[in-house]
Amino acid sequence: MFRIRFHGRGGQGMKTASRILGSAFFLAGYEVQDAPRYGAERRGAPIFAYVRADHCAINERGIIRHPDLVVVADDTLVGMPAAGVTEGVNENTLLLINSHESARTWARRLNTRARILILTAMDEVEDRAELPYIGSRCAAAAAVLCGVISRDLLLAALNEELAHLPDEVVKKNRDTAVDVFENMAGEVGLVSQGGQQTANDYVRPAWITLPFESAEISNLAVHAGATSVLVRTGLWRTMRPVIDYDKCNGCWWICSTYCPDGTIDVGADGFPQIDYQHCKGCLVCVAQCPPHAIASISEQLAREQENEVAS
Amino acid sequence: MTRQSTLHFHRMKDMPSSHLLGTGTPMCAGCGGLETLHTLYDILGDKTVFVNAAGCMTLLSVYPFTPFRGGWLYTAMASAPAGAQGVRDAVDILLQKHKLQADEDVEVVVITGDGAAYGMGLSATSAAMDRKLDFIYLCYDNEGYGNTGQQYSAATPHAAITSTSKGSRGYPGYKKDLFSIWAAHNPAYVATVIAAEPLDLAKKIEKLQSLSGPRMLISLAPCPTGWDYDPQLSVEIGRLAVQTGVWPLKEFIDGELRHTRVPKQRKPVDEYLKLQGRFRHLFEPRYDSGAIAEIQARIDEYWARVVS
Amino acid sequence: MTRKLVTGNSAAAWGARLAGVDYIPAFPITPQTEIIEDLAAWIDRGEMDARLVTLESEHSMITAAGSAASSGVRAFTATSSQGLLYGMEMIYTVAGWRTPFVLVNVSRGLASPITLESDHNDIMAARDSGFVQIHCATCQEIADGVLLAYRLAEHPQVRVPAIVNLDGFYLSFTREPVDLADASKARAFVGEYDPENLQFRGNSPLSQAMAVLGGGPYSYFRYQAHLALQQALAVYDEIADEFAEIFGRRYQMIDCYRMEDAEYVFVMLGSFSTKARDAVDSLRAAGWKTGLLRPRLFRPFPQAQIRQLLQGRRAVAVIDQNISMGMGGVLHSEFTSALYGTGDAPLVASYIGGLGGRNISQQEFFAIANELEQAYEEGAAPPPRLLYTEEELTEMRKLQAIAQAEHAQIHHN
Repeated sequence: MFRIRFHGRGGQGMKTASRILGSAFFLAGYEVQDAPRYGAERRGAPIFAYVRADHCAINERGIIRHPDLVVVADDTLVGMPAAGVTEGVNENTLLLINSHESARTWARRLNTRARILILTAMDEVEDRAELPYIGSRCAAAAAVLCGVISRDLLLAALNEELAHLPDEVVKKNRDTAVDVFENMAGEVGLVSQGGQQTANDYVRPAWITLPFESAEISNLAVHAGATSVLVRTGLWRTMRPVIDYDKCNGCWWICSTYCPDGTIDVGADGFPQIDYQHCKGCLVCVAQCPPHAIASISEQLAREQENEVAS
Repeated sequence: MTRQSTLHFHRMKDMPSSHLLGTGTPMCAGCGGLETLHTLYDILGDKTVFVNAAGCMTLLSVYPFTPFRGGWLYTAMASAPAGAQGVRDAVDILLQKHKLQADEDVEVVVITGDGAAYGMGLSATSAAMDRKLDFIYLCYDNEGYGNTGQQYSAATPHAAITSTSKGSRGYPGYKKDLFSIWAAHNPAYVATVIAAEPLDLAKKIEKLQSLSGPRMLISLAPCPTGWDYDPQLSVEIGRLAVQTGVWPLKEFIDGELRHTRVPKQRKPVDEYLKLQGRFRHLFEPRYDSGAIAEIQARIDEYWARVVS
Repeated sequence: MTRKLVTGNSAAAWGARLAGVDYIPAFPITPQTEIIEDLAAWIDRGEMDARLVTLESEHSMITAAGSAASSGVRAFTATSSQGLLYGMEMIYTVAGWRTPFVLVNVSRGLASPITLESDHNDIMAARDSGFVQIHCATCQEIADGVLLAYRLAEHPQVRVPAIVNLDGFYLSFTREPVDLADASKARAFVGEYDPENLQFRGNSPLSQAMAVLGGGPYSYFRYQAHLALQQALAVYDEIADEFAEIFGRRYQMIDCYRMEDAEYVFVMLGSFSTKARDAVDSLRAAGWKTGLLRPRLFRPFPQAQIRQLLQGRRAVAVIDQNISMGMGGVLHSEFTSALYGTGDAPLVASYIGGLGGRNISQQEFFAIANELEQAYEEGAAPPPRLLYTEEELTEMRKLQAIAQAEHAQIHHN
């Protein structure tokens, strides 16, 4: 069985990628499962989708725990535990990362025995939420790596899945997919299909007998205030608002009031400060600041610069 | 309920500069509803119990994470006002029996989306007003069933594309006039608000704090996900809703209707519509002058009645 | 203690009054309405210190009961049939809040067709919700059952809401002599309401009843509610003993009548079981060793006790006043499941009777006993039977003839 997982951010089209690949497998005569995994997360938040394909009926269900291929549309997710990109990845897994960095760099960084490939031919964009045609690109790359889907079948699947879009958009997606097939001609069929869990050799689940706990402990309630601050919604951000304090006129209230998430507080000095652990990068503050003292920069670049400073 | 407010909102600088609602909620980036809620919370303070109906804001709290510093209770889509009734009555009984001290009193606030407010929960809301329940009701109105992917609701405006009105003309119906339905109950206070007009919002919250009984707010909640626009335009679109006259800011108190903001020179509705993907079909591939004129005419007609 | 004639509805209202409830969200429905009318009258006359609020639906009523109990007051409410189903979303929801209050359900058959008369499909629909269920057979049991239900629901080891069930008409509108507990003794027995850590108050953070992410936390909360109901089994006897000490009436979780040496056993819930008592006496007089087993506590289900009580008997007739479409009697399924695999299990036969208030006659009980004996001799349980006579079908035919008069004409033309 082929087990493929696509990781991206809400809005990057990972569901579409999984559907294009799923349809392509189906057209190639496979039994298929494809599904997105929805959570409470929104645009910019890490999400994933997955595809299973086999020549016989597929009984396995739910999230793919041990993928044969992991496709990462946005490399900023790789190091983010909440995104779960490397979950269940082992030496049999192929990891395809859309990145400007080399496979060797990623191998060192992740300290993994998984094989790593870089998805090539991507132009950097400022806002990672807007990666162009990334869904089709990922689907095409996965098709090449699985080695059992022809270019024409992939394009047929793409047409089917994107039928609701305007013709010129579909054409650009097709061109992207064709490029991927050309550029990755040397990488056909690198994915090895994983087998079934055997009953001969397995780790017994560590079941416990759930102890009774009185409602004082087990009720569905939170006896603490504002625990939501433990959730780092700053990870959703693809663009970062940055205040230029030379331009900020200390108006006191505008960015702070309009920030939907309340992530901007005004300090005792009368100047606002952005809480980057929680700022989701909506950029309302950038749009509303009267002296235009807040600029938006690519989160990717901002982090790279921070890394450089740190090292 | 103690009815004193130490805040006075005369100018923008009076707006709170730090915020009570915890960050880290799963609401979408640029959520216009959350913007209203955090201002409401800043002004009301943490001696509040929010009673939540099913909608986007169901997910404000996901165990064990809550953005609230006071009380919050999730109920169901149809019955948040009834949940508020139980909390209010219980607190009153306990105060009366001296099992709660006066300073432990709380303000009970229902939060629902338009799906609940305009539809499934309307009966419970109507009844809570009949019973003169002492509570605040905030409807964050993003004009569709947002949490399930923006299907049209009774709050969806004419011609909007939603995921259940994808046809070339969008939603054929017209937005229900919930303000008037509520006002017909003659509750203590009814107002429309929007986070993009924070001073108007703050003044109205301050006013309802001085009242008791049903105090009802409908906040238009620009929704980047459901209305299909870049999140950074949330406030801009909200402001345009007011400036074009699409969203009249008004209040109803003691049987009297008053517009709190009458745009002197109303901007053409195009300016509001064209920023939103849900209305793109009115502009592309060609300008649908007929449909836009109809929308404009309805707005003009509304304001002609107001001004006269 | 005063002994007076009261209806089942009035007994339920007395239970609430004696329990010292603070808050009653209400909504009328036949045959329950008298309960809230009684309570409203007492409150109006100043005889009862409580607040009654009529909501606009059972859905809202149950929400308000749950949210008030979650805010620190003792709440009571009542409904029936369609009302219970209209509020069913909240029945499950508030059970998950782990908030103790008592709801009296006056059982009435469900639409369609519409009926006002009694059967148990309404209460069976709430079976899996997380409410404790106490089923009553007499008006006395109703008044006492409400007091027991509060103790059970509010017990710190339990803390779930409870339903006290009584049959419409057969109990709701029927007067019987009832010993009404002395008010101060009742209050002392029930005690002060302690919401523990469930209470909204200014300056104290508390968020309740939120979503969870993932099956792990969901399983934890759901299973804890199940374990809490099982705790109710453990603490029930303790509470019932205390009640007996004060009031002199001991309510077993399973009411057994002439079970000592019974070979053939009737199993029933609710008020129709008293008909079975008479049948047991008559059958015994005729030389049949019969008995009656009636679970008072239906949730939690006293499985081990049932197993113990029925092991070694020859045959059991479970008479269900409900029907699970496509399966049969709910109680029958539960009993066969409880007995399956036990070494010495009796044969279990299924009878559906008393739907929509239909009477179950003494002759029918006798005939059932007869079928049980036959089954025992043949070593196999008979197929499920609906208690329905030829005469009833004849009557039905007459109704159909009227209903289909024109239809028949069309066909004959």
